[in-house]
Amino acid sequence: MTRQKRSHHRLKRAVAPYLYLSPSLLIIGLLMLLPMVTVIGYSFQNSAVLRRDPSFAGLKHYQAIFADPVFWASLWHTLYFTCMSVVFHMTIGMVFALMLNSDRINPTLRNILRVLYILPWLFTAVIIAVIWRLLLEPNGVVNSVLMQMGIIGSKVEWFSSPATALHAVTFANIWAGYPLFMVSLLAGLQGIPRDFYEAADIDGAKAYQKLIFITIPQLMPIIISISLLDFIWTMQVFPLIWITTGGGPIYSTEVLSTYTYKLAFSSYNLSQASASAVVILLISLGLTLLYIRCQKAR
Amino acid sequence: MAEVILENICKIYGNNFRAIDQLNLSVEDGEFLILVGPSGCGKSTALRMIAGLEDITSGSLRIGGVDVVDMPPKDRDIAMVFQSYALYPHMTVSENIAFSMRLAGKPKAERKKRVDEIAKTLQLTSLLDSKPANLSGGQRQRVAMGRAMVREPAAFLMDEPLSNLDAKLRVQMRAEITSLQKQLGVTTIYVTHDQIEAMTMGDRVAVLKGGVLQQVDTPKRLYESPVNAFVAGFIGSPSMNLFEATLMGDELMSGSFAIRLQDAAFVRRPGLRSYAGRKIVFGIRPEDLYDSSLESGRKYQTIPAKVTSIEELGSEHIVHLNIDAVRVDSGDPDAVDDFGLASNAVARFEPVSAVHSGSEIRLAVDDAKFHFFDPETHLAI
Repeated sequence: MTRQKRSHHRLKRAVAPYLYLSPSLLIIGLLMLLPMVTVIGYSFQNSAVLRRDPSFAGLKHYQAIFADPVFWASLWHTLYFTCMSVVFHMTIGMVFALMLNSDRINPTLRNILRVLYILPWLFTAVIIAVIWRLLLEPNGVVNSVLMQMGIIGSKVEWFSSPATALHAVTFANIWAGYPLFMVSLLAGLQGIPRDFYEAADIDGAKAYQKLIFITIPQLMPIIISISLLDFIWTMQVFPLIWITTGGGPIYSTEVLSTYTYKLAFSSYNLSQASASAVVILLISLGLTLLYIRCQKAR
Repeated sequence: MAEVILENICKIYGNNFRAIDQLNLSVEDGEFLILVGPSGCGKSTALRMIAGLEDITSGSLRIGGVDVVDMPPKDRDIAMVFQSYALYPHMTVSENIAFSMRLAGKPKAERKKRVDEIAKTLQLTSLLDSKPANLSGGQRQRVAMGRAMVREPAAFLMDEPLSNLDAKLRVQMRAEITSLQKQLGVTTIYVTHDQIEAMTMGDRVAVLKGGVLQQVDTPKRLYESPVNAFVAGFIGSPSMNLFEATLMGDELMSGSFAIRLQDAAFVRRPGLRSYAGRKIVFGIRPEDLYDSSLESGRKYQTIPAKVTSIEELGSEHIVHLNIDAVRVDSGDPDAVDDFGLASNAVARFEPVSAVHSGSEIRLAVDDAKFHFFDPETHLAI
């Protein structure tokens, strides 16, 4: 091979990977990076979008949202909604995964349970919202069952009462999201060598000791990854809350996504909405960096 | 330390598959017993039944005089080394070794003292803070041994613990385990499919086939006096050559050759006379077949053979041959590998032998070393 041919071949080899990557990079750039940068720009402008020549506003919109008690309430609701969802997704997912992985359950029953447990995952957020709105209506099935069981004395307005609305939407989100954990943890459980448990049996481990010393440490990489991903996704949940409560009553279920939406499309304050969106972006970015760090550590 | 006694042990699975059939075995206190057999013979199942990891369908199992059939594994006073070592990857070497003590709620100081003692014995002291992923195969194997030793059990059970190691390390670890067992004096039951491990490590060897115990004896007696053609074929590498022949008077007639048997053969095996005029299976080990050009002084009888291929190992030549005789299958699935497509016999020649592939040779046979088996039952005569 001549020197010229060799250098041409080397150039081709060096450029080829970037050519393969370029379509996806172009799409990400146009559909994600560009809007992101634009929104960040809007957050520093007065009357963004609405005026042709918006003036520079500095940190005014950030100061405005940080001074708004509804923003802090939304942030607190978002954290409550997200933390409770992730914790319960993991707990329920783990319990169901352990059940489905157990030899003590009849294989046929196990297959039926597997389908039943995974059902909530098949519904879109809109359907889940409609289902739970119907179930938790004052005249719905839940109230009727709880009253018959004597747990509540009168009909509870789950989504309409400020005392219960946030818990109700969180509950609906927990119901909708645990299958991801269940499926991931079940796959992890099936990958734990049987020898580990047999060695522990010989060493005298009780069931809870096997769970603490073998199962959970073995599943830890999955637990960390899925928890972080779930945290990022749950923080951004919008349709479930929008359709069930719309952020009300009296802001009791207002989360950052609904707060931002209202600023943008109810108040038409796109600059403040952009500032709020940037705050969500920064929190998500922090969590994403944490996730990437955990992945690298593995 | 304790003796382990298995009486009429059976294991029948749900589909009526009989994995172990009437297994009777007595392992003396401090003895090193090897359970050996081809894949699927039930040796690991037997070990797992002793450990309590598999239910016993019927029969009795006593460890140290105590009937343990209905006892959970932890109460059987045994420790097991798994084929995969079953080391917990998230724990350090020290934590792995001390795991059973931690479960038993032993104080930290006591755990550390015991782990240090064991680490010293197994030369693991410098590795106590390492994770299993950072250890070599041999080191992992030693950690698995350490985890078994920490419990000071009545018996060690080992399930093919060397099968994941490379050939060189396996030889080294074979010697280490044997010397450790002698040093500790703990009753040990060791499962392997490798008959070299069986022959070199155990005080006694139990050969299993299809869940049935074939023979239990010292390695030397197993090699010299196999009770049937299966044991004859399984023990020894390369396997014993087994051929069909007809006994006519004091001559073995097979294909185009005949071998005269000495009177001593009939004196040693009085039953041999009853096969006169009938078919018989005779066996000869590869090391009892010689290159006739090198054995002229010993006056062995010779038979014609064609060399099909040669494996030159330096210290010896493994010579694959074709002789005019019908080969008999010992029932050992692994034995088939010893023979090429065109060969039906294997000989072990001295490295000075000048035979080459494709040559027609005279094969010297030491008929005093023949083994005889019934053609129907394959039992030794």
